[in-house]
Amino acid sequence: MKLYTAKSDTSAAKKIVADDMLLTKDMPTAAGSKMLDGYMSLFEAEAITKLCAAGYGICGKASVGEFAIDLLGETSYYGAPSVDGKLTNAAVEILKTDDAMAAVGLDINGSIRRAAAQSGFVSVKPTYGTVSRYGTIPVACSGETVCVTAKNIADCREVLDVLVGHDDKDGTSLSESECSRLNSASGAEAIRSVAVISELSADIDDETKAKLNAAKETLQANGVSVEEISEPLFAAARIAWNILMCAELCNNVSRYDGVKYGYRTENYTCMDDLYTNTRTEAFGDLLKTAILFGSDTLSTENYMREYDKALRVRRLVSERFAKLFEQYDAVLIPACSKAAYTEETVKADPYIAFSENLYTAPASLTGLPTVTAGGVQLIGKAFSENALFEAAKRYE
Amino acid sequence: MDKDTLRKLELLNQLSLNETQKEHVLAFFQSREQELAVLNTFNTDDVARMVHVMPIMTVVRDDVAAQPFSRDDLQKGAPETNQGYWCVPRVVE
Repeated sequence: MKLYTAKSDTSAAKKIVADDMLLTKDMPTAAGSKMLDGYMSLFEAEAITKLCAAGYGICGKASVGEFAIDLLGETSYYGAPSVDGKLTNAAVEILKTDDAMAAVGLDINGSIRRAAAQSGFVSVKPTYGTVSRYGTIPVACSGETVCVTAKNIADCREVLDVLVGHDDKDGTSLSESECSRLNSASGAEAIRSVAVISELSADIDDETKAKLNAAKETLQANGVSVEEISEPLFAAARIAWNILMCAELCNNVSRYDGVKYGYRTENYTCMDDLYTNTRTEAFGDLLKTAILFGSDTLSTENYMREYDKALRVRRLVSERFAKLFEQYDAVLIPACSKAAYTEETVKADPYIAFSENLYTAPASLTGLPTVTAGGVQLIGKAFSENALFEAAKRYE
Repeated sequence: MDKDTLRKLELLNQLSLNETQKEHVLAFFQSREQELAVLNTFNTDDVARMVHVMPIMTVVRDDVAAQPFSRDDLQKGAPETNQGYWCVPRVVE
C-alpha cells in the first residue's frame, strides 16, 4: 500500500495533497495505472497552478484507483489502501496523518465523496464548469469535476474559493460571472427545505442510516423542513451514468497504446502485438471491463438503445431535479451504502463500484454541486455551494 | 453477449482477456438487459438528448502560432525513440 505516489518538499504554511489524476510538472502522474507509471507531464493542471499562485504548497500526490473509477482507490497499481482490513482512500489517510490542509482531486465515479462520507471529512463537488479541468487525466469528461476534501467546512471552502474561475484552456469552463457566484463572499440563500429520496436511503447499513438520521434531525432542529419523497428516476441515474462514463472512458483511454508515452510491453513482434499486449498487461480488470462495456454501448447495434437512451435519461433527471428545486432547496442522500468496505467486499463483487454509485451518480450525471459532510451528501441547484456549506455546518 | 461478440470487442479495443476474465466480463454483461429494462420504464420519446450538463459555447482564441514544447521534451516519456522519431515495429515487410 502506497499513500503517496510522489512527495514534494514545500515550505508553504498551507499544504495541499493533489490526487494522482491531476498533472504535475515536478512529480510523476500515473492515474493509478501501470500504463502511466512514472509518467512526467510537461505541464500542470490549472488547479495546481492556481493553488501555487495563491501561496499553497503541493506536498505530494495521493494514490488513486486505476483512472479513479473504483470505490475508494482499491484498484491502484500501487496497492489498495487499507487500514485494519477496511478499505480506505489515500488522500483521506494523508489528511488524517500528515499536516496537509486539504486534498484536491478528480471525482469521476464518486470515490472522493464516498471517502469523505466514510471518514467524516468534508468534500465539495462544485457545479460542473466552475473549476477548470485543464490538466486532469480525462476519463468521463461530461461529468467529472475537480473536488476538494478537507477536515472541516472552513478549509474546504477556502480552497474551493482559490480554484473557482473561468479558464480559456478548458472548453467546458463557465464564464467568470457565473463562476463568481460560488465565491464565499457572494453570500448564500438559507436552505429552508430538504427532500430525502426514499429510493436512495433504503438499502444502507445501520451506521450510515444513523448518520442520515442525525443530519435530518439536526436540520429539523434548526428550522429546516425535511420531507421524504419517492423518486425512482434518481435510482435509475446510476444506469445512465454507467453507460455514459464507460463510453467516454473507452474513448479517452484509447490513446494509451505504448507508442508515444507510458508503458510498453516487451512482448511484441508486430504493431498489433505491441498495442494489444501493452494494453492487456498495463490495464487492470475493472478498467478492461469498463472499456469493453463502453465500446459495446457505442456499437451500431446498441448506440440508440443504450447510449442515446442514457443521454435522454440524463435530461429527464436534470429536469426532475429542477422541478424538485422549485419546492425544496436541497436533496439529502447518503454518499454510500456502508460505513466501511472491506477487501472481501470487493472480492465478492469486483464490479461493486458500478452499483455503489447509486448515491453519487445523480449529481455526476447532472453536474449539480454536492457537499458531503457528517457522512451524508447534500445536493443543491447549480451555484448553490455556499448555501450547501451553510446547511452542512449544522451537522458537520 | 456471447463469447464471439466479446472476442470482437477485445480485438476492437486491443485487449486480450484470459478465460477467468472473460467469465467475469460475461457475467457483468448479463445484468445489462435488466438494467436497460429499468431505463426503458422512463419514456424519453419526446426528450432531447443532453450531451452537456451546462450550456457550452465555443471558445474563440486568437490564432497565434506557438511552440509550447520542443520535440525532445515531447519524446522524453516515449518508450523508444531514435533520432527524433518514435520507434514502432516494422509495418511493411
